[in-house]
Amino acid sequence: MKKFTCAALLCAAALPGLAQANDCGEVSITEMNWASASVVTNVAKFIMEQGYGCSVSVVPSDTVPAVTSVAENGEPDIVTELWLNSTGEVYKRLEAEGKVVRAGKVLDPGGVEGWWIPTYLAEQHPELKTIDGIMANPELVGGRFNNCPDGWGCRIVNDNLVRALDLEGAGIEVFNHGSGETLASSMAAAVQDGEPWFGYYWGPTVPLGRFDMTRVDLGEYDQAAHEANQNADNPNPQVSDFPAAPVLTSYTADFAEREPEVAQMLGKMTFKTDTMSAVLAWKAENNASAEEAAVYFLSQYPDAWSNWLNDTARANLSALLSN
Amino acid sequence: MATYDFVFSALGLEDWCSEGKSSAPMSMAQLLAKAKGEQADAPTSVWDLPFPSMDALHEACPAFPQSRELTKGLEEGFLDIKDSLSVVLDPITQPLSWFLDGTLYAMLTAPWWIIIPALLAVVFLVSRSWKLVTFVAISIVLLAFIDHYEYAMQTLSIIFVCAFLCVLLGVPIGIAMSRSDVLQRMTIPVLDMLQTLPPFVYLIPLIFLFSVTESKLYGIAIILYAIVPVIRLTNLGIRLVDKDVIEAADAFGMTPRQKLFKVQIPLALPNIMAGVNQTIMMSLAMVVIASLVSAPGLGVLVLRGIRNLELGVGLVSGLGIVILAVILDRVTKASLDRINAAHKQ
Repeated sequence: MKKFTCAALLCAAALPGLAQANDCGEVSITEMNWASASVVTNVAKFIMEQGYGCSVSVVPSDTVPAVTSVAENGEPDIVTELWLNSTGEVYKRLEAEGKVVRAGKVLDPGGVEGWWIPTYLAEQHPELKTIDGIMANPELVGGRFNNCPDGWGCRIVNDNLVRALDLEGAGIEVFNHGSGETLASSMAAAVQDGEPWFGYYWGPTVPLGRFDMTRVDLGEYDQAAHEANQNADNPNPQVSDFPAAPVLTSYTADFAEREPEVAQMLGKMTFKTDTMSAVLAWKAENNASAEEAAVYFLSQYPDAWSNWLNDTARANLSALLSN
Repeated sequence: MATYDFVFSALGLEDWCSEGKSSAPMSMAQLLAKAKGEQADAPTSVWDLPFPSMDALHEACPAFPQSRELTKGLEEGFLDIKDSLSVVLDPITQPLSWFLDGTLYAMLTAPWWIIIPALLAVVFLVSRSWKLVTFVAISIVLLAFIDHYEYAMQTLSIIFVCAFLCVLLGVPIGIAMSRSDVLQRMTIPVLDMLQTLPPFVYLIPLIFLFSVTESKLYGIAIILYAIVPVIRLTNLGIRLVDKDVIEAADAFGMTPRQKLFKVQIPLALPNIMAGVNQTIMMSLAMVVIASLVSAPGLGVLVLRGIRNLELGVGLVSGLGIVILAVILDRVTKASLDRINAAHKQ
C-alpha cells in the first residue's frame, strides 16, 4: 500500500503540466537536427505546454524521414522548419491528398541559399562578388568549391550549376563534402584563419549568423531553370540563382481537427529571418544549448511572439509578457 | 535560496561567491519559474534534491563555474595548442594525402581492363587458387555491371593504402613491444583506448586538427582504428614462439638480428597474417564511417541511402560492401592457409 502511494506521488510530481491542462491533449512535434529548427521546436514546445496546456513529445528527425513518417504513419502531428525545396514530390502529394495542412511560413522572408565567400575577401577583391569574377580569378578563392554532401537537395542543384557554368573548366576543383559538419568546419577554419573560402551554404544557421559572409551573385533567378536543376538527370542545365526558400510549419489534417486553437497559433508562428540569425549568433557566442537559445528568444523578443497567442494562452503567460 | 547555499556559508566563502556575477544564459527551469510569477525556490521535498553537480553549486554560488565552462575551457585549450600541433603534425602526415590521392587517381584513371586483371593476378599470387580467382572475378564483374565499379575501386584503393600503412607501421611496433616489457606495458593501454573509443569520438579532434578537404583526415581515422590488431598479434606471435627454439638459436650463436628475422618472425607469421586479416577487415568497416568526413566510395552511397531513405541505393551499396568484405577476407584467409600449410611441412 505504501508503495502505491509513493508511485502516485511520483506521478503527480512528474506531471505538473497535467494539472493545468484545459483541453489540449498529447501533441508530437519534430525537432530537425540543425540549430534554427531546434530553437523553433523548443519555442513551440514551451508555448504549447505553458500557454495551451498540451503535453508535448519531441521527435528528433530530419526533413525526409519526417515527411516519410507523416506519409506512412500520419505521425508526428507537427512538422516544423520544413524546407519545401528539399522535400521533393512527397510533400506536395500529401498536401494534395489533404493529409497535411500548410500552417504558415515559419521563417520570414524565408531561408537563404546560395554560394558564399567571406566578406573580407569580397572587400579585398570586389570582383569576386559575381560568379564571373570568381571564374576569372579561381586562385583568389583558393581554387575550390565546397559542395553539399551527397543526398542533400542542394547537391543536385549545385552539380547542375557546376556543369552549366563549367566551373571545373575554369580551374575550380569541386570538393564534395561527406557531411554538413565538415562543410561547416571547412568554412569556420577558413574564416578564422582569414583564408579564402568559396562554397554553398544556407541560412539562418549558426555559421552564417556567426561569420560575416557575402553571397555570390549567380545572375538572375530563372524559375524554369531552377526547377529543371533539381533533377539529377537534367540534360541541359542552365544557370539560375537560388530563390528565397519557403520554410514552413505543417501539421496533419487530423491534428488541425483535434486542436484547432493550437493549430491557429502554429499558423501565426513566424520568426523574422534576421531575428533568428541574431538568436543563433548569440547561441554560438555563449556556447548555449538550443533550449537556452529558445529561452533567450522568449525572454528578449516577447513582442515577436505575443500576438501568436489566443487570449487564454496570453493570460497563462502574462507574467512573461508583462516585463 | 538554492539547495546548496549551506555548503558555501559553512566554508565561509560567501564573499567570494557574491563577487561572481551571473552572466550565464537563463535556463528553461528559470523561465518556467518566471512564467508562473514566482522566484526559483529551493525544492522543499527531499524527492527533488538535485545532485551537487557544477550547475547546482553554481546556483548557490555564482562564482562557482558551470559545467558549460568546462567544455568551453576544453575547447579553448584545444584551439590554443592546435596551431603548434599542426606545425608538427601537418608535414609528418602530408605524405599520406599524396599517397591516398595518388592511389585513387591511379585506380580510377587506369581503364577497367587493366585494373581487373591486375587485381585477379594479385589474388592468384597470394592464394594460388583458381577457385578463388573465379569467385573474385565474378564478384567484381557483377559490381561493375551494376555501375558500382568506380565506387568499389575508390573504397578498395583507400583500404589498400591504409592497410598497407597499418602493416608498415604496426609490425615494427609489435616487434618492439615483444622485445621490451616496459614498452608493452606502455602501449597496451593506448591500444585498448583506440579499440574501445567509438570511431565518432576521435573524428571530432581530427576535424579540428586537419583541414577537412584533405584526404589524410580520413586516412588517419582509418589507420588509427585498424592498426590495433596487427600490433597486438605481431607482439603475441613473437612472444608465443617456443622457448626451446630460441634456446637452440642461442646455442647456434645467432645474433639477436638473425634470431628475429630467421626464427621469430617466420614462426610468428601465422599470427601476424591473422592480424593483417583483421586490420583489412577493420579498414573496410571504418571506410564506411569515414564517408562522413568526405572519404569517397561505397560509404557515400550508404549515407545517401540513410539520408534520403533511398532503400534501394542503401541496399545495393551495402551489398557491394559485403562483397568487398568477403573478397578481402577470403583472399587473406587463403594466403594465411598457405602459410600455415608451409609451416606444417
